[in-house]
Amino acid sequence: MLHIKIPTRREVIEKAKAEGKKIAAVYPIHYPRELFRAFNIQPIEVWGPPKTDTKKANAHLQSYICSVVQSGLAFYLEGGINVADIIVVPHSCDSLQGLGSIYKDFIKPKQELITIYLPREKNRENVEFLSKELKRIYKQLAEFTHFEPDREKLLEEIKKEEEIDVLVAKFYKSRENLPLSSREFYTILRAREYLPVELFKNILNYALLHSSSGKLKKTGIVISGLLPEPMEILDVIDEMDGFVALDDMACCMRRVYGEGSADDPFERMAERIVNSTPDPTKGSSVDERADFLKSLIDISGAKGVVFYNVKFCEPEYFYHPLLKDKLNESGIKSIVIETDINEPISQQTITRIKAFIEMLKEESRWA
Amino acid sequence: METVKSIGIDAGSTTLKIVGVNEEGKILFTIVEDADPKVEEQTESILNKLKENYDIESSKIVATGYGSNLIKADKKITEITCHAKGIYEHFKSGGTAVDIGGQDNKVILISKGGKVIDFIMNDKCASGTGRFLENTAWRLKIPTEKMAELALNSDGEVKISSTCAVFAESEVISHLSRGEKLEHVIKGLHRAMVKRITSMIYAIGFNPPLMLSGGVAKNKAVVKMLEEELGEKPLIPENPQIMGAFGAALLGLSK
Repeated sequence: MLHIKIPTRREVIEKAKAEGKKIAAVYPIHYPRELFRAFNIQPIEVWGPPKTDTKKANAHLQSYICSVVQSGLAFYLEGGINVADIIVVPHSCDSLQGLGSIYKDFIKPKQELITIYLPREKNRENVEFLSKELKRIYKQLAEFTHFEPDREKLLEEIKKEEEIDVLVAKFYKSRENLPLSSREFYTILRAREYLPVELFKNILNYALLHSSSGKLKKTGIVISGLLPEPMEILDVIDEMDGFVALDDMACCMRRVYGEGSADDPFERMAERIVNSTPDPTKGSSVDERADFLKSLIDISGAKGVVFYNVKFCEPEYFYHPLLKDKLNESGIKSIVIETDINEPISQQTITRIKAFIEMLKEESRWA
Repeated sequence: METVKSIGIDAGSTTLKIVGVNEEGKILFTIVEDADPKVEEQTESILNKLKENYDIESSKIVATGYGSNLIKADKKITEITCHAKGIYEHFKSGGTAVDIGGQDNKVILISKGGKVIDFIMNDKCASGTGRFLENTAWRLKIPTEKMAELALNSDGEVKISSTCAVFAESEVISHLSRGEKLEHVIKGLHRAMVKRITSMIYAIGFNPPLMLSGGVAKNKAVVKMLEEELGEKPLIPENPQIMGAFGAALLGLSK
């Protein structure tokens, strides 16, 4: 176990404000952190937050909107985003697109509202499309901040993020050698959602210093979905002598982008997002996603996949039966667990996860 | 005094089941009681009484079920693994095991060798569980055991569209107030429950034979309707309620 002090979102916001930075409250999933940092803006991501009382948002949204979006709106209506100067809503799914429209047409927040139109497939046209979109956002930010970072500044921030992505990949690769529980591992990883880049880099480097040659003798699991909330799932997995070996989660692995190749900063940022790992919100094919999950299993030696799905997250739902079949064909067990980020994990869910790990262990014993 | 090698305790939501086995896995005793809210005290009291007739000093204790966390045991294993083990050892067959309990249902695919291949459980909802029938029985002031008889002897059937235990209860009342015959409504209620279970079976992929466990397997109307829906006669143990506890006891024998 490592004792790492990670500042809270509140502490980061207070410090950033004291340093004269602007704050951007950013909804899931994909956006170029580097573009905001180049404007001296601190992005603070809003993944819910979990355990929010959503009664105020319920009046504005259909009951079948996922709890991440319900909480995201409720958090604003409760004043949780008052501290932000900018609100960023990427059009990741129909619900987030709807949230963007609610802000624009009805709420009309005092903050600067930025929407990001994200393309789907990996191709040259989409890199060009997103590149233009990022130029549009650059102009909007320049008008708002009265500051225009030059090409060098943009490239400098892009390189920083690229370095962090390499470091995060190393952190994942060292998972089995790190004296961290699954919850500690993901608490560190998810600190990227709000920490300044240098601070996050220091924390990762510190954790990696404690990497040892001894590997965890536990049953590895790949977890797939939006985010590991409620985080109790991680404790249940560890309690069963399992651990999360790798993930395919929107808040984590799906946003570990590769290095861009273009010299133009906008094109480079666009390349990174467009060419990211398969993602249901980007319309990746079932085969692409299945192959990616299989590769995670191969790399990590994990024994099965837990689809930890936020209830009503449609992009994720469409894939489950097909992915389950594809994984089955390759002898990989999987289970779909439905969650609500505002509710505690149910006993039924705990039983299912435990039974799934028991099944995987039995499978390994027979193998 | 016979030596009990392993004791399986299935602390379910409605009943507590305890099974003791000898070294060969032969059942020495079975106990089924309504679950007390203080299940740990209830279990302790039962174990103390057992000491009068059995040597349980060195017995391995394996707990399963929702109350298992409260019970002092050498091992805690999930209901899925325990039911699969119990059913497989009882029938000596792989296939589809369906446990219909008081508050949850489990459908478990078991391999020819007795491994759990896959499983599915109902979510935070009493749809298709024993509680679904119990609620209405209580509301209509009919003993639960009489419900199956009424359904089996009914010459008609009313469609109950709701699979929610609470909404189905309201639907039953509204059918009765419109003058529908009680037995037609009760049969419809059984059908709604069976359809819910059948959809879970198809969701995971039905692989015969169909093997039932859990208290609801004693309900002959449910059994008959499952056969009608699936076209497969279910296999039912003499005492379907104890399969989880039996499996837990057997798992206590393995190293």
